Amino acid sequence: MKTHNIQNCGKCGLCLSVCPVYAQIKQEQVSPRAKLRLIKAFRNKNIESSALLKDIMSKCLMCGSCTAACPSGIDHFAWFMDMRSDMKKSQGQSPAIKSLIHLLGREYRIRFSAGLAKAGRKVIPDRFADSYKLGSIPIRKFPRFNEIPLRRSAGSCISPNGKKQGKLVYFTGCATNYLYEDTGNAVIGVLKHMGYEIIIPEGQTCCSIPILFHGAPDKAFKNIRANIKALAIEDAEAVIVDCPTCGYALEHEYPRFMENNSLDSEPACTIASKTVHILNFIDKHFNLLEFNKKFTRKIRISYHAPCHTKNNNQAHLRIERLLKKLEFADYRPTSDADVCCGGGGTFFYEFASISHKMAMEKIKNAKAVNPRFWLTDCPVCRMNLAGTMDDDKGCPELTHPVSFIYSGLKQK
Amino acid sequence: MIDDKIKNKFIDITGKDRFLDRIEELVSYSYDAFTEEVLPDAVIFPETAKEVCHIMKTASMYKIPVTARGAGTSICGAPVPAKKGIVICFSRMDRIIEINTRDRYIIVQPGVINADIQKALAPFNFFYPPDPGSMSVSTIGGNIAQNAGGPRCLKYGVTMDYILGMEVVLGTGKKVRFGSRNVKDVTGYKLASLFCGSEGTLGIITKAILKVVPIPEAVRTVMVSFDNLDNTARAVADIIGSGIIPAAVELMDQFTLNAIEDAAGLGLDRQAKGTLLIEIDGIREACDREMQLIIRKLKQNYATGIKEAASGSERENLWTARRSAYGVFAKLAPDIISEDVTVPVTKVPEMIRKIIEITEKYGLKAGILAHAGDGNMHPMIPTDRQNKEEWERVKSAFGEIFQAAADLGGTLSGEHGIGFAKSEYLPLVMNRDTIELMQTIKKAVDPDLILNPGKFV
Repeated sequence: MKTHNIQNCGKCGLCLSVCPVYAQIKQEQVSPRAKLRLIKAFRNKNIESSALLKDIMSKCLMCGSCTAACPSGIDHFAWFMDMRSDMKKSQGQSPAIKSLIHLLGREYRIRFSAGLAKAGRKVIPDRFADSYKLGSIPIRKFPRFNEIPLRRSAGSCISPNGKKQGKLVYFTGCATNYLYEDTGNAVIGVLKHMGYEIIIPEGQTCCSIPILFHGAPDKAFKNIRANIKALAIEDAEAVIVDCPTCGYALEHEYPRFMENNSLDSEPACTIASKTVHILNFIDKHFNLLEFNKKFTRKIRISYHAPCHTKNNNQAHLRIERLLKKLEFADYRPTSDADVCCGGGGTFFYEFASISHKMAMEKIKNAKAVNPRFWLTDCPVCRMNLAGTMDDDKGCPELTHPVSFIYSGLKQK
Repeated sequence: MIDDKIKNKFIDITGKDRFLDRIEELVSYSYDAFTEEVLPDAVIFPETAKEVCHIMKTASMYKIPVTARGAGTSICGAPVPAKKGIVICFSRMDRIIEINTRDRYIIVQPGVINADIQKALAPFNFFYPPDPGSMSVSTIGGNIAQNAGGPRCLKYGVTMDYILGMEVVLGTGKKVRFGSRNVKDVTGYKLASLFCGSEGTLGIITKAILKVVPIPEAVRTVMVSFDNLDNTARAVADIIGSGIIPAAVELMDQFTLNAIEDAAGLGLDRQAKGTLLIEIDGIREACDREMQLIIRKLKQNYATGIKEAASGSERENLWTARRSAYGVFAKLAPDIISEDVTVPVTKVPEMIRKIIEITEKYGLKAGILAHAGDGNMHPMIPTDRQNKEEWERVKSAFGEIFQAAADLGGTLSGEHGIGFAKSEYLPLVMNRDTIELMQTIKKAVDPDLILNPGKFV
């Protein structure tokens, strides 16, 4: 179908300069340019499916940097997702990835496993948790599961403090719902403070990006339709996300997915046009925030730009500007704020050693700046960086920028 | 195919991890940004010059072709292994060995990326002038092998002008060193000029000593519109002819500019028939004075709009737009042929008229893009090689463009190189004895003819 488009890769090689995986491996076959060339060869039946071909296609963080840099406007995501789907069909999937896809495909399974894992964490002896790793990250350094999933603890309708400014829908994503309730509570707290009524629709589930990136569009189908249904609330002025990847899904993948499957894309397009990253929303309505003026000392912070934030029209620059505006913060950029941390969905699990090297470099540069908080708006970046960091005293604490902003607000 | 016995000899040198020969890997090393592709038999990644010597000794013993590769961004097929054999990729020899701005040189391995050199020099307030469009990814080894140019070479000169010394491994596996850390050095032949621009046909570069220069105090960049391409070209000849040498003078026609604007949306003047991107640098007061003179010349040639970049980021945007031109054109059709004829700057208006005349004659749509200040033209033709009839027309058009350039005292290639693409046209600008001299040198240095065979010599 898209063979014409792939031919339009001029093989100029600009993508090599931004690809974090190529930077580590330094061999052409993992570069975006080579992947496109290999997909073309595969489609034209010049090469066959193989374990190596599948491995090459998996060696990608799906960070989107190549697409952002590509002067020919190639949609790498679409090509890679299709190809991963073909590779999965012909080469199979590792049991771990297969069960992840299975798990994320239904909300009750996610909920059940989160509960199970939470219980498991209580009974796993520390000795075991200390010495075992999942991918590049030791088990004990994974975040604790929320006691109660955020969506249940917060309820589905939250009233604003003071005068009502408007109504918003909040798409929490799995990470906030099951792992990082601090992020969710901060989003809710900030929006309440601003005077917004917040609807957290019950029918929402995994955004499906992990499923799509692992080449299982069929498994993503139910989730996408459930989310579109849940988020279609007419009188809400925006759909708030706290995770840039969920945001990418709602803004770009959903309308495309519906169109590709010849379904009515209208509701998906409406949701796409309303989707706003919480930090952009805060930036836009900054005047609605009232900060606690009585701070004794500015808190030093730094920021790690997730790939899906950076490659969404350089949205990280806006976030950096926002952080600089905070009077109670002393914002210090790291030398490599917009370089990939190597987390990349499940990349840290599939290619642990490459991922580890990338995260260690980031941590080294963050430590040079020595912030109290190292902020990032992507849960996988947070998990990867926090999980890779050693336990030295004085290591920065990873958290979502919204949590930091929330901490500085005046209590109403 | 390389038989297992020989393959194992190569693996003995680098280990298994740095020797690739599976089809998926070979496909990835069969191309550069040119259209022709050839699968190598194997790819090898040396980490030291000593390993390169061993690789060359083995290759020469079994007469296996060897083609060096940096980042594979050439657009003439230079790193494409025309006669198969081994591709030596330098991505693992990417260290900057020494930076010495007091003596104004750096020493680098061949796999260092041009942009990384700039990054490393910036804290010292120095830079390395050659700036090919691919500089964010292309390697210094490739830049040297192709004698790469770039926009600011108008003022600063090309890669060759910055080579102080080199270490090169010959086809036989012998390692030679020439030049030194000194700007002045007339000890023996100037061998750097033999290897620089040889496109990998004479030796494998394993180290280079490069001259570096201080970053100028001030930079000013203007974007100029014209309602007539002829005036645009005349303005260039007029500015250069008046004795001002800007750092860069880039010309784009309406087709090119609109293609870029479609992709980048920078608010460029879509109505302009011709535009110039002019940059000057130097001492602040000198820049002010030069800019006044340039603006006077532009007005004399009926410029319709002159807009100066107000900030560093505006300037960066204009250059990003200019650098993306090749990729932007790639979007327009399955294949993009970018040529590189170069003429004396006074002949630029005439050469542009010729290019338009010839492409129109063959019913082709060309974008005209040029490092106009040094007469280096980049006509770009979007085409589809699968369309045999159109492809014939493209070839004929370029044949005539080469002839026209030769007639104007110009040359086939200003900075892209000859590679696969233009070897058949060499007789237009070189007589038989000269071509024979090149062949004599080639045989003397590479008696087994294993270094990048199948190219221009």
